Amino acid sequence: MKEGDSTEKLVESLVEELNCETVFTIPVFGGIAVDEGVVVTWIIMAVLTILSIVFVRNLSVEKPGKVQLMLESVIGWAQDFFEGIIGKENRGYIPYLMTVALYLAISNVIGLLGFKPPTKDMNVTIALAVMSMFVIEWSGIHRNGLVHWCKHFAKPVPIVAPIMILEIVIRPLSLCMRLFGNMLGGFVVMELIKQVVPLIVPIPFSFYFDIFDGLLQAYVFVFLTALFMTEEME
Amino acid sequence: MSGTIIAIGAGIAVLTGIGAGVGIGIATSKAVDAIARQPEADGKIRTSLILGCALAEATAIYGFIIALLIVLLLK
Repeated sequence: MKEGDSTEKLVESLVEELNCETVFTIPVFGGIAVDEGVVVTWIIMAVLTILSIVFVRNLSVEKPGKVQLMLESVIGWAQDFFEGIIGKENRGYIPYLMTVALYLAISNVIGLLGFKPPTKDMNVTIALAVMSMFVIEWSGIHRNGLVHWCKHFAKPVPIVAPIMILEIVIRPLSLCMRLFGNMLGGFVVMELIKQVVPLIVPIPFSFYFDIFDGLLQAYVFVFLTALFMTEEME
Repeated sequence: MSGTIIAIGAGIAVLTGIGAGVGIGIATSKAVDAIARQPEADGKIRTSLILGCALAEATAIYGFIIALLIVLLLK
């Protein structure tokens, strides 16, 4: 009966990880529960804000320092990358996409520092997907006008209209599920490997599941958002 | 007994991974082919390969989520 016991324990620990714990409650309006993911998001926001302030402090045109050169090359690369997808005339959306990419990249690998990754909580990925949904639809309306946006559902033939309307919801749903499933899947596989062989063997797997997969999913999320936006702006 | 059936159901749900694996394998082999033919177009090939892989992988992820829900919620 030892086998069954360990399975039970594993299932219990997985359920524990799936539930988002409430860290504290704000005592207004009958108590607003603040989840772990929200607190970790606040920490990420604080770190990113402080880093942004520190990095842009001593910028100069004549004598760029090492930090400035590095920063310029990274930002320039990211800007070129997004410009290649959504086009030069829509560069106003690039800061939003870069912000989401930065937040996702940090929150996906923050598990290495002992925090619980916010993206392993489905509420966070749903919120991000809803943001993506509004940006995608807004980009289409802003570019081509409301009338064209209403009409484009009936193209190329009116019979596809239900599918096109469903697509508004399906695209963010698949974005959200992909991110959440990948994060959770990597976590579950890592837990299983750690149970079987707790020594040395998990290290290469951790490189893949914790670092490579996290960064890849952040990339895929913003890449697909930008791609859907271009599709909508056509 | 019901535990066994639940485990079998979760196993069947995870079989969606077969499709994703075959799809990503074919996509990667074609991409390698294309890069070998036209090495200067590797940037564009890589972006479309990643897009295709992400879309193909989604089905495996859906199967995985269903399996997880079966195991965790029906136990």
